[in-house]
Amino acid sequence: MLEAADRPVSHDDTPAATGGSSPAALNAVNRWVPHNIVMRDTWFPVAHDYSVTGTPVRRAVYSHPIFLWREDGVPVASEFHPNEKIVREKSEYTDARGRYPVMEHYGVLWVWFGNPEAADPVHLPSLPFLPPKGGLPRHMTSTVRFECAAPISLENLIDLTHADFLHADVVGDERSDSETVETFYDSETVTMVRTCVNKSVAPVMKFFSGIRQPTQNVRQVIRIYLRSHCAIAYGRFTPGDDVPLFHPCTPETRDRTRMEMVMNTTHAGRMFRHVMPKAGYKVSRQDSYMTSPQSPRYMRHTDRKDLHSKFDQAGQRYRMAMMELADRQEKGDFAYRDNVSADCSDIIGLRKELFQF
Amino acid sequence: MIREQDLWWAVARSEEVTSKAPLSVDIGDQPVVLWRDAQGIARALEDRCPHRRAPLSLGCIRDNGMIQCGYHGWSYDGETGRLKEIPNMKDQQKFPPVYKAKAFGVVEQDGLVRVCLNAKAAPPPPAETGYADSGTVQVSLSHKEYLDALYDDPNLVIAIRGVYFTPYLMSELHEEGGMLVMERNCQWEPLHWPSHFVAEFPLTLLTRTHPLTGETELTLRDDQFNDLLHAVLAPVPAARGVTAVRWRAERGVRPRGLHGKLLRGKNPLSVRSSIDGAKLRETKPTVSLHGEDLRKAMLDAPQSDTDQTIAA
Repeated sequence: MLEAADRPVSHDDTPAATGGSSPAALNAVNRWVPHNIVMRDTWFPVAHDYSVTGTPVRRAVYSHPIFLWREDGVPVASEFHPNEKIVREKSEYTDARGRYPVMEHYGVLWVWFGNPEAADPVHLPSLPFLPPKGGLPRHMTSTVRFECAAPISLENLIDLTHADFLHADVVGDERSDSETVETFYDSETVTMVRTCVNKSVAPVMKFFSGIRQPTQNVRQVIRIYLRSHCAIAYGRFTPGDDVPLFHPCTPETRDRTRMEMVMNTTHAGRMFRHVMPKAGYKVSRQDSYMTSPQSPRYMRHTDRKDLHSKFDQAGQRYRMAMMELADRQEKGDFAYRDNVSADCSDIIGLRKELFQF
Repeated sequence: MIREQDLWWAVARSEEVTSKAPLSVDIGDQPVVLWRDAQGIARALEDRCPHRRAPLSLGCIRDNGMIQCGYHGWSYDGETGRLKEIPNMKDQQKFPPVYKAKAFGVVEQDGLVRVCLNAKAAPPPPAETGYADSGTVQVSLSHKEYLDALYDDPNLVIAIRGVYFTPYLMSELHEEGGMLVMERNCQWEPLHWPSHFVAEFPLTLLTRTHPLTGETELTLRDDQFNDLLHAVLAPVPAARGVTAVRWRAERGVRPRGLHGKLLRGKNPLSVRSSIDGAKLRETKPTVSLHGEDLRKAMLDAPQSDTDQTIAA
């Protein structure tokens, strides 16, 4: 039996920023056009730190070119290639030299997309399970691409039921004794916590972690940072392992998404530690099987509303929060009303003793 | 006049529609998913789950005959399109009427599965013949261009083994019982006189085409009025300007000698999946020009006898 709750993160001094539970808002949510949502004034993760050397590599955010390289070990992000004969106008997102604000943290290079003068490390999402200075082995990282809009990919991630259905061969089937879902949100984040008691053991854990019991208790957390399109997917399996995943969905274009994935399996068993980060290659293809044909159907407005069930509560909240933030940005309000860099360990239920840096 | 949404399109051959896996087809820009339910009845829904818009054709068919979306497992009844089940919601399996996928009309006849976008449209009149040979091709040509090519030079789109379609018409395109009908002179291959010096042609190809769907009945006859081959060719507009063509054919009277052997072999009719662009470009529109005017006059007529399918 599913129990579900949807509540704003409690703040002492501010009311919930998202208030749209009116029928009108719900109608809009069920007809949303994620393809048209463009977020700015945020840090986008664009490359693993080891990918950027003295030779420029190319990335993009919403089709804006970003060239990354290092000068004396210091990362540079420019909208122009050093060898480029510049014949186009500089964008509003870079400084006088055509350079984006860039920072290196959690083993990832982050580029500020928006007003360069507003760039501030305080707006970097909190990822408490990653070492701030990087250094995780490469086998815990990978790059995955999706042929869909980034919000479609994130909605897929926060979606409850598809994993049991689409990824049953990796994460297990839908059977459990009880299931509780809670969704917490503020103006910059949506967090979904799913707790399952006596759920069928995930096949990947059966084979690579040696779990012999037929069931396990599972606590899964998906936390999405709306602006940067970054997500945390954190699973705690008992018996089993702690598997925190950094799951960014960087919109290289409005309908192509890049994921610089980092899964910290340091504390998992040896086999599982090496195998689990590679599961992303399989799981992402399973997701793409649905999100690729799904995405073009969200490129234009339609009067037909999506149907939903109680399992879609977190996804509905994500849509609503994104639309409200996009609406604010549309009106020229790029201010942060909530702090995304505040340590989220408690919200995601991180076992801090395992992730001391 | 028949409304576009009331047309019955032959979107699949009967054997293509199974209870093993859903079949994805199009009627123009409308994606359609087909399958057979537990009773073996062909069903058609919009190929779009109303939950998260994923194609239902990527899902599966359950033992109870319902189609299940492959994304979240929502299951739909084929006859009504009504949502019947969401996984893990055993406590609530009755859903409001709005919880449904768009259902289309389906009839199966003549070895073809026909779909009408209007589920309430009157069914087409029954057809009677059965055809042994069949096939499906997807052609990178629009529906109109495909039919124009068929009118102007059948060699561009079909081939009948041992038969050459000449440019000479026995009967120009005309209206007959609500159909566009024409008859073209043909010759036996491979050896024959140049067609422009021939006094008597040994064969004709009679075509009867529905003015809206373009579904065409082909009859190859010899000069003694023996029917040598019957076929039905059903071009349906599909996504991106592609035309999906389903066809069925049945051999008739067997001619003597080599020609008879050629026609009696397996699949004497073949429908081309690709069109020779150079030949197509050089083919001057003749019959098709006339056909366009004729079709327009037929459709503009206040009272049309136009049938919804080819008369048997």
